[in-house]
Amino acid sequence: MMSPEVIRFDHATIYYRDRLALDDLTLGVGPGEFIGVIGPNGSGKTTFLKAILGLVSPARGSVRVFDCACDRLRCEHRARIGYLPQKDAIDPHFPITVAETVMMGRYSTIGLFRYPGRSDRVIVQEALAAVDLVAEARTPLGELSGGQQQRVMIARALAQRPEILLLDEPTTGIDAPTQHAIMELITRLHRDLRLTILFVTHDINLISPIADRLVLLNTRLFAAGSPASVLTRDILAQVYGKDVALADHEAAPYVIVNDHHA
Amino acid sequence: MLDLFTFGFMQRALTASLIIGILCSVIGVFVVLRGLSFIGAGTSHAAFAGVTFGYLTGLSPLGMAVLFGLGTVWIIHGLYQRGIMKLDVSIGIFYTFTMALAILFLGLMGTYNAELYGFLFGSVLSVTADDLTVMAWLAGGVLLPVGLFYKEFHFITFDQGMAEATGIAARGFFFLLLNLIALTVVVSLKTVGALLVFAMIIIPAASAYQLGRSMLGMMAYAVGFGVAASVGGVLLSYRFDLPSGATIVLLATALFFAAVALSPKRRRTAAPDCAHGG
Repeated sequence: MMSPEVIRFDHATIYYRDRLALDDLTLGVGPGEFIGVIGPNGSGKTTFLKAILGLVSPARGSVRVFDCACDRLRCEHRARIGYLPQKDAIDPHFPITVAETVMMGRYSTIGLFRYPGRSDRVIVQEALAAVDLVAEARTPLGELSGGQQQRVMIARALAQRPEILLLDEPTTGIDAPTQHAIMELITRLHRDLRLTILFVTHDINLISPIADRLVLLNTRLFAAGSPASVLTRDILAQVYGKDVALADHEAAPYVIVNDHHA
Repeated sequence: MLDLFTFGFMQRALTASLIIGILCSVIGVFVVLRGLSFIGAGTSHAAFAGVTFGYLTGLSPLGMAVLFGLGTVWIIHGLYQRGIMKLDVSIGIFYTFTMALAILFLGLMGTYNAELYGFLFGSVLSVTADDLTVMAWLAGGVLLPVGLFYKEFHFITFDQGMAEATGIAARGFFFLLLNLIALTVVVSLKTVGALLVFAMIIIPAASAYQLGRSMLGMMAYAVGFGVAASVGGVLLSYRFDLPSGATIVLLATALFFAAVALSPKRRRTAAPDCAHGG
């Protein structure tokens, strides 16, 4: 028998700030799946994640997470979803340490009128250990590099003890070696913790070798399936234009977008 | 010098300064870190309009200050939440609107009222026992929620969007924070005056920002700076016969520059420039 889906979009039409972001989207995500979410700018990728978090509601159709309608997601449901938003510039002088930042991941679980306890501090240490930042626990967040700060934010999401991890372009603005280190970390967390991961990215070549499935959005669900079935010249040309080439590369096709700007 | 502590008016003034020093500094940390400086300035004008309305109509000036301060925050927040107006634009409108109201009410009164001008410029030496009781209650009403919801305020100050995504009622806590800022302004109105009250919220917290490594640490520094400025300012103003509100704020500003000079953050910021130079 198939495991029940943890996320279900059923003919969901979603507007974001009065603009149609996703139209008639139907898609299911099973527990433990690693989904790569791709698509051009403005294709609805971030709205897709916000809908799962219950931060935007469908105008038509439904979105269900843990078999609960998203617009009725209560705090304890949201606490089961770890979320890494697009990387904003962090005020380098904001007075907060690495451990305090990660502890914020516990706040919704701790609940109102209560303060972090010993068990919360243990979970924070475990989350820091998972991203190899135990030694930096007392370091001010602003003193870390961009890649380290991104690992802190992943640790904060892990401190929620999530079942689903939503990652919105976690490797954007980070140098190539650090990008690969973060991808290795996320792959390891997926394997060890059996997390359901939805990874939004523009970097098709980074995600395609490790994702179980790719979801290609372009205001609607354009394609979904194994990387090999989604990354065809025909599909990519329809979404990204004609200047797309494919090369065979280990497990997944390698996408080359030709640049005519020069 | 020590005999001045035996005077009732001085004891009340110092107690009021202590309350203001603690309260403004704690709230100021959220204001500085969350970038809400302008809303405090807007609220102080609204509260002063409330005071003038109270004197004009014979209603409780303090009650009217609370009503006008909170009312302004509610309207500004409502416009912001509905996406009608950016926060700074709606604050700007009410900042000037409520000051215009205050001037209108002053004009309608037609007579000079020294007590009213005390609310504008601050008159800590004229604080009464009743004033102190009200200040203590209001200060407790602000500090209690800060203690109860410290971790929620901490999270929304750092990253409101993320707090909301994890299930914290972030918008509700932001609204509560705005209300606490308005109440802090009202509590401090008589001591430092409407024109200078926001300095007491911003400056000690801005000084602490130079030194604190965590938000709690920053709060401790801010309270130290705030109490030193408010109590020290009262003593200096008595000793040299200076206006109390202005003396408090000038002392707070001097402490700010001392903190900037000693700031390890300033040294950390300077270090990469040296490195790039090489």
